[in-house]
Amino acid sequence: MWFFNSTPTHDERDDLLGRPSFNFRLQIILGFFTFFILSVVITIGAMLTISRIERKIETVSTWERFLYNIEQARRWEKNYFLYGTNLDDALESTANAQAILNENLHYLEQMSIPWPKEELMRDLALYQSSLKMLAPISLQEFNTADGRMAVEADLRRYGAQVVTEAAALAAKEHELIAKWLNIVQKVPVYFLIFLFFLMIYVARFLSLRFMQPLKQLVQHTQRIAKGDFTPVKPARKYRDEFTTVEVAINRMLRELESRQNSLIESHKLRAVGILTAGVAHELNNPLNNIMLSAHSLLEEYDELSKDEHTEMITDIIQETDRSRAIVHNLLDFTRENKSVMQPLDLSLLLNETAKLAFNQARVRGVAIQLDIEPELPAIRGDRQQLKQVFLNLVLNALDAVNKGGRIQLKARKQPNHRIIVEVEDNGCGIPPEVLPNIFDPFFTTKPVGKGTGLGLSVSHGIISNHGGRIEVASEQGRYSRFTVTLPWGATQTAATSDQRQPQEGAS
Amino acid sequence: MKRPTVLLIDDEPIVGQRLKGTLEKLGCEVDVFQDPGKALDRIREKGFDIIVTDVMMPDVNGIQILEAAKAVNADAKVIIITGFATSDLARECMEKGAFDMIAKPFKPSDLRSMVVRAATEMGFTDIQER
Ligand SMILES: Nc1ncnc2c1ncn2[C@@H]1O[C@H](COP(=O)(O)OP(=O)(O)OP(=O)(O)O)[C@@H](O)[C@H]1O
Ligand SMILES: [Mg+2]
Repeated sequence: MWFFNSTPTHDERDDLLGRPSFNFRLQIILGFFTFFILSVVITIGAMLTISRIERKIETVSTWERFLYNIEQARRWEKNYFLYGTNLDDALESTANAQAILNENLHYLEQMSIPWPKEELMRDLALYQSSLKMLAPISLQEFNTADGRMAVEADLRRYGAQVVTEAAALAAKEHELIAKWLNIVQKVPVYFLIFLFFLMIYVARFLSLRFMQPLKQLVQHTQRIAKGDFTPVKPARKYRDEFTTVEVAINRMLRELESRQNSLIESHKLRAVGILTAGVAHELNNPLNNIMLSAHSLLEEYDELSKDEHTEMITDIIQETDRSRAIVHNLLDFTRENKSVMQPLDLSLLLNETAKLAFNQARVRGVAIQLDIEPELPAIRGDRQQLKQVFLNLVLNALDAVNKGGRIQLKARKQPNHRIIVEVEDNGCGIPPEVLPNIFDPFFTTKPVGKGTGLGLSVSHGIISNHGGRIEVASEQGRYSRFTVTLPWGATQTAATSDQRQPQEGAS
Repeated sequence: MKRPTVLLIDDEPIVGQRLKGTLEKLGCEVDVFQDPGKALDRIREKGFDIIVTDVMMPDVNGIQILEAAKAVNADAKVIIITGFATSDLARECMEKGAFDMIAKPFKPSDLRSMVVRAATEMGFTDIQER
């Protein structure tokens, strides 16, 4: 159950939670259930086969008992012809065989392989009746009688047929048992092999399903650490346990972003505070011009010609305009604005930024030189925030140089849709041991009250959010150069993260 | 009767245009420069009695003018115009011997009375506001 009382509906949350749920618990349960069903099927199959084999063995033994009795009868029969004995025994054995067959008839009909019941019964009956025909005849008579030959031939023929048929049936049943035994032996082996591959597949599947979102989470944290606060978007088809984490990350991102924004805002106001001396200077110049012109008019109105009147009034108007522009430039930078990504003329933006810092630099006796390539392509960005970045860099440079120092602000186009802006000063430089730390929040080498150590950290966040990079090169005592690389055009759409904002008239 | 020579330096042209006449009416001989570099050369060429200079200008600032003027003529009176006076700047100017400071925006009469005061201190008697 989710509670989002802090914020109204957010698309990214709906995206994440709008997917059908297929969590890992369910997947694991499903996997094990499949295993279980398979094992049950195999076990039941084995049990059934084994019980069939058992019954087959019974059938075989029935056939063998039958065969044994017939063969016994045939031996007695032979004795009878040789010595005239054992005819009764032969009859008894035959009767036994008949009995076995009759007793098990129903059972055999069901269990045995198809067998020529009619023929076997007929042959057995014929054999039996032939034997019976011998009984009333004494051996002497028999030996001479012509009929003997016929009876003997019949006996041999039917006896042999019954034996052959029964033997063939027994052999066939044996064969069948061997075959089934073979199957019973092999199936578990095949099952094991199948199980082996199934397990590999399931293991791979499950670990992929775990690893992939984990990897994505790692990637998210990395980009977030770099200051890109784009919310996490659904990457998988189904909702699962990781969705909880992703939703939490998105909530954290909104928190981070609003904090970052207030940090940016407060640092901006600090920068404005630093600019006051310069702004006062700058503003007091046109005010002074207005004051002098107005007083001159007042004092010498009658002595002055009409042209001179016009000239002074024109001056007053122009200087008022100038004051307004100064105030406007400052207010434009200071005004608390909703962050809006829009197409920007970087050259204009850098000029305005330089203007903000220009008088501050003059107060300190530092020259700011602009070297901006003409016709730079427009970039998408937040005007105030980018101004703030370049102003931070310029103010840092101002702190680093002495009187007579020089600050260069350069911008040029690069291949593969990048624009480079460099802020270089010939000041104190940065010692190599602190170089890795200067972008850290609250890292400063300036005395308390002069630096908060947030300038570069805030700038880094802003540039990351614009899909760009900020780098530094410095040599102690010689120079520092901060290089801001910003994307423009095609590469930028993917890199920047303004999808949350409804674009206000931007195109 | 000798008239005091006044040098007025400000990179804002209107300042010179509006103040030249009013200072001349006081009875001064006024030179106006927008380029502080050229003004420096002029100072070295010809010492001025009173120098009125803006402090913040490109290349050469008011402090350098002050130093140069004092080097040429230790008695010269230098009036510093500032856009935004910090106590540091005020102290530096006074230590270096500036006569007075005036903050923008100012009225012509403010500067006039300051120039009159400077001229009077230098011994020019017939300089005064009408
Ligand atoms: N151009 C530069 N030259 C020399 N050192 C620099 C330069 N830019 C930054 N640094 C070093 O990096 C540190 C961090 O800069 P950052 O802008 O983040 O904070 P800060 O300037 O100290 O404080 P704040 O910007 O809040 O006024 C600075 O204290 C300074 O030591
Ligand atoms: Mg800074």
